[in-house]
Amino acid sequence: MKVTCKSIMLVEDDQVDTMTVRRALKELHVMNPLQHVENGEEALNFLRNPANPRPCLILLDLNMPIMGGIEFLQIAKHDESLKGIPVVVLTTSEEQEDKVESFQLGVAGYMRKPVDYPQFVETIRTIDAYWTISELPQ
Amino acid sequence: MKVLEGKDPLWLLGSAADAMFIAGPDGRILAANRAAETLFGYAREALLNTPIESLIPPRFRAAHRAQRTDYAAHPASRVMGSGFDLHGMRKDGTEFAADVSLSPLEDGLVLATVHDITRRKRAEEALSEQSARLRAIVDTAVDAIITIDERGTIDSFNPAAEHLFGYAPSEVLGKNVSLLMPSPYHEEHDGYLQRYLATGEKRIIGIGREVVAQRKDGTAFPIELAVSEMRVGGRRLFTGLVHDITQRKQAQARQEELIRELEGANDELKNFAYIVSHDLKAPLRGIGSLADWLVADQAEKLDDEGREYLRLITQRVRRMDGLIDGILQYSRVGRVKETRVEVDLNQLLRDAIDSLAPPEHIAITVAGALPTIRTEKTRIQQVFQNLLSNAIKYMDKPHGEIRIDCVGAGEGWEFSVSDNGPGIEARHFKRIFQLFQTLAPRDRVESTGVGLALVKKIVELYGGKIWLESKLGEGSTFFFTLPKRGQSTLTTRRGSQ
Repeated sequence: MKVTCKSIMLVEDDQVDTMTVRRALKELHVMNPLQHVENGEEALNFLRNPANPRPCLILLDLNMPIMGGIEFLQIAKHDESLKGIPVVVLTTSEEQEDKVESFQLGVAGYMRKPVDYPQFVETIRTIDAYWTISELPQ
Repeated sequence: MKVLEGKDPLWLLGSAADAMFIAGPDGRILAANRAAETLFGYAREALLNTPIESLIPPRFRAAHRAQRTDYAAHPASRVMGSGFDLHGMRKDGTEFAADVSLSPLEDGLVLATVHDITRRKRAEEALSEQSARLRAIVDTAVDAIITIDERGTIDSFNPAAEHLFGYAPSEVLGKNVSLLMPSPYHEEHDGYLQRYLATGEKRIIGIGREVVAQRKDGTAFPIELAVSEMRVGGRRLFTGLVHDITQRKQAQARQEELIRELEGANDELKNFAYIVSHDLKAPLRGIGSLADWLVADQAEKLDDEGREYLRLITQRVRRMDGLIDGILQYSRVGRVKETRVEVDLNQLLRDAIDSLAPPEHIAITVAGALPTIRTEKTRIQQVFQNLLSNAIKYMDKPHGEIRIDCVGAGEGWEFSVSDNGPGIEARHFKRIFQLFQTLAPRDRVESTGVGLALVKKIVELYGGKIWLESKLGEGSTFFFTLPKRGQSTLTTRRGSQ
């Protein structure tokens, strides 16, 4: 990604999915540090602590325990200090409802996790390519 | 008056229209006029000196003798119609209703005038029969019938009303009808009535509506009330027809409950499909990724057999992924509603064929122009795509031919997709439309067995039919119909998407 010093936040409860993202990023030589949290609530706690670095991108799963992705978006996108961070939903859900709701809550993208690992790498490659070209507010 | 001079009093008798007799103290007829002869059918000679009783039916004679004796003791004028129902008997034995007036003359003589009242009697009987009939209708009616006057006072209360409300007529007649209503109607009814009488504005009269009534024991129950207004002898009355709709209401409530349950079950099913999509896929993806990394990272530690096993794992993961997608697709039909648009099937088929990218040796032709129909685009696309991809996937001839045709058969369109592929045995015709049913082993042809089930579900939801004709070794033709009108069967109760 463009600004290498900034971290990427991954909000994901599944261990293998987390490994998949890490592995794909490594394979694609994305050097941004990955900040992993397991659900929406942990993500909010991390983001609201001024001691923590602010991520340049959030990869968000939807179906998680304690606080799911949609609920996280409902809070984060109404929070002045957080709404500017781009969020890309990375999920299994193909439900129209989830897509519509996500975009109404201002997500920057909606990607489906493929079952197949090589395809997963392609998905991450696309995300990386986009955020390498796209300008982000400082 | 000159003309009357010298006339015998009997002349007067003779010219009267009514039958007249003069009877002696012993009851014997002393004189009778012409009208009397005519009425009773006797010649005057036969009447004279016979007892007056011979002119009444035998069964009344004894009583008449007693009455006559009584009258002789206290003679007084008795006018017609004073309440005695008498009968006369003619010479031929026939009887008639008669009204008789009596006037005492001198020396114990009595003048009796007899008037035939048969016609009046008949009219009276007809009237009372009619009113008895009307009363019987009211008394035997299944619905309660209650009349009130313009002050709301109960004027009549039929047996069905007694039964329904639990009051005896004596308990309610003369009372205000609001007695039969629960609060707040109980308090408000006088106001309703006054408003109607003042404004003539009808809220219930002649309209009928569902309201709540109250029994004697205080329980309330739903009724259908129809009120009509009438004027009887200058009085303004209102008739209320009360039909107990407790059972209908209960049935309605039960129906609503069933619908709620169904909606609940439907929502559950919807959630189920969602959970299947997410919760089953997550671990599946894990298995796929791990198998892939084993191949990538540990390849040198595995022999050919190990690598083959991992390849099979990956393949199964993809297959299961396909099955889950199939379930989702299948469950989405009819659940997720799409906007209906005009779909040009010619364009749709060109796109579908392009996206399927059939191999060189398979030719797909569209016979003639296809119609433009108003429908949900994705669904009709799924129908053609699945039928075509099956035809392509199973093609076993060096020169494959697939042909799409359409005839506008009356009320609907009949589409067909035919191929010169392997054909299907008739005994499998039913099975192939069932979910997850395939005829070829999955390792030979990757198939989830969802396609035709999906096609059938879509076609049937649109009110069409699907069937096939096939000859083993020569090919198959799949037919389906779509109604030209009333394609609106594909609706969900609350389509939100």
